[in-house]
Amino acid sequence: MKRLLLAVALILLLAAPWIVTAPFFVHLMIMVLLWTVLGASWNLLGGFAGQVSFGHATFLGAGAYTMMILYLKLGVAPWYGIILGGVVAALIAMPIGYMCFRLRGPYFALSTLAVAEIIRLIALNWESFTAGPVGLLITTLPKVTFWGKALNWESKTPFFYIAVVIVLSALFATAVIARSRLGAYLLAIREDIDSAEAIGINTVQVRVAALSLSAFFAGMAGGFYAMYLRYIDPDAVFSIALSVEMVFIAVVGGLTTVAGPLIGAVFLVTLGETFREHFLVGHLIFYGFFMMLAIRFMPEGIWGKVRLWTGAAPHRDKS
Amino acid sequence: MSLLKVTGLTKFFGGLQAISDLSFEVKAGEILGLIGPNGAGKTTAFNLIAGFIPPTSGHIVFNGESLIGLKSYAVTRKGVARTFQIVKPFRKLTVLENVTLAAFLRIPTRKEAESEAGRILEKVGLKLKRFTLATDLTLSEQKRLEIARALATQPKLLLLDEPMGGLNSTEIEQASKLVLDICRDGVTIIWVEHVLKAIMNASHRVIVINYGKKIAEGKPDEVVENPEVIAAYLGTKKQSHVTD
Repeated sequence: MKRLLLAVALILLLAAPWIVTAPFFVHLMIMVLLWTVLGASWNLLGGFAGQVSFGHATFLGAGAYTMMILYLKLGVAPWYGIILGGVVAALIAMPIGYMCFRLRGPYFALSTLAVAEIIRLIALNWESFTAGPVGLLITTLPKVTFWGKALNWESKTPFFYIAVVIVLSALFATAVIARSRLGAYLLAIREDIDSAEAIGINTVQVRVAALSLSAFFAGMAGGFYAMYLRYIDPDAVFSIALSVEMVFIAVVGGLTTVAGPLIGAVFLVTLGETFREHFLVGHLIFYGFFMMLAIRFMPEGIWGKVRLWTGAAPHRDKS
Repeated sequence: MSLLKVTGLTKFFGGLQAISDLSFEVKAGEILGLIGPNGAGKTTAFNLIAGFIPPTSGHIVFNGESLIGLKSYAVTRKGVARTFQIVKPFRKLTVLENVTLAAFLRIPTRKEAESEAGRILEKVGLKLKRFTLATDLTLSEQKRLEIARALATQPKLLLLDEPMGGLNSTEIEQASKLVLDICRDGVTIIWVEHVLKAIMNASHRVIVINYGKKIAEGKPDEVVENPEVIAAYLGTKKQSHVTD
């Protein structure tokens, strides 16, 4: 039953650009997929390991700049750039993790915020490398033929499928980690760090591993974001607003679940767009109000609530 | 040869000397009771041995290896497990998951770790509760879960920090039996306790500390006769009463 539902969902996802052809809606779906990856990335660290980061834009930005700089300066194709963006983000995450994970709870959360601001300022001021506030711009993407047909980068469809691949890999990785020993260690750390240490878990190392994995997916999302929008500047990819949005997606979707970030992204991205369309002035007020209601009445998230209703444990997703 | 040898252990918290020049040994297979009034430094001594805080000076040698400078997880890997006085279960995980997590330290596969956890839960009498969330257990059960989790790391030395605090007399009896059982299985135990009756019945040897110093050591029945111990617990009433 579960496999059948999964298969139907997958087919619908792959057929979506043919069902909904209006460019705006394809764009909306791409944004949903992008935010799913970011939510899934945050969920690995914030959900499973319970380590709240307010600085995840760092990794999004690192991935975006890696892809851009590699393409513009060295001519590395964007799809390699996306993967390398993930790798660079994961590498950057390691020293950040070893520094920040000496702190616990709210102090860790604050340190991530500080690090994110430092990195944003570096990107803003290191003009020879990042072009600073001017930003980086891709004018043309490389020509590619796929099954004998040239890909049309002006259409949104190719981007949709690239996003699908990244989303599926992020969700698949979450499912694998949830069932692995690493996943169990992350839950132990979320529940009680002292007890985790007492049963022999090197909690700094495990948290750094979780941060790195999480950063890898945020970095890939960043690389994709840069390729899709073709323009980035430090304030667009390193902003605190992005970090906070990732937290919302993961929390509203349902922490520590595999599908939660997808559900969260569907709701929040479409809701955000709807509010923007209907209330030109002050749409963020409505958005904020919705967030308050969601957190007040569904602290376990939308998917967590569904799992409660269907009798599955909300906090431990094993599917 | 002693399993654990502590020499000259000293810990300052700022200007406060929490542990001062503490030395003792534990032989393999022994149950050593560690007692003393509130604030004597018993838990601090445990935290030092288990690597939760670093000592200011002194040596801790376990099984021929120094534990100084090791982090708590590394101390656990060497074979020293501890329980917490204020229980710290993984609250939103089931009893079985709690213990399985600890078993992962020595057993990499989930299936085998789970069956080992099941065996330990049977021993501590929590088998029927294995699918209950840890947060839903009674205090007595949570204390036993602490012990089960520590045992799952397959320790040579087990540090029990007040496993009986807050338990009623029936539960204390069960817990005493459990401690003796664990010892019989070849695990050496250092045991901090306020329930003196239990510790006096079960320990082979007792150390009394007060203000971070060792004030007495010996067989349980000898130690309780020691005037310094009596003074530490009951206080000195009048000068004339303690003069010989």
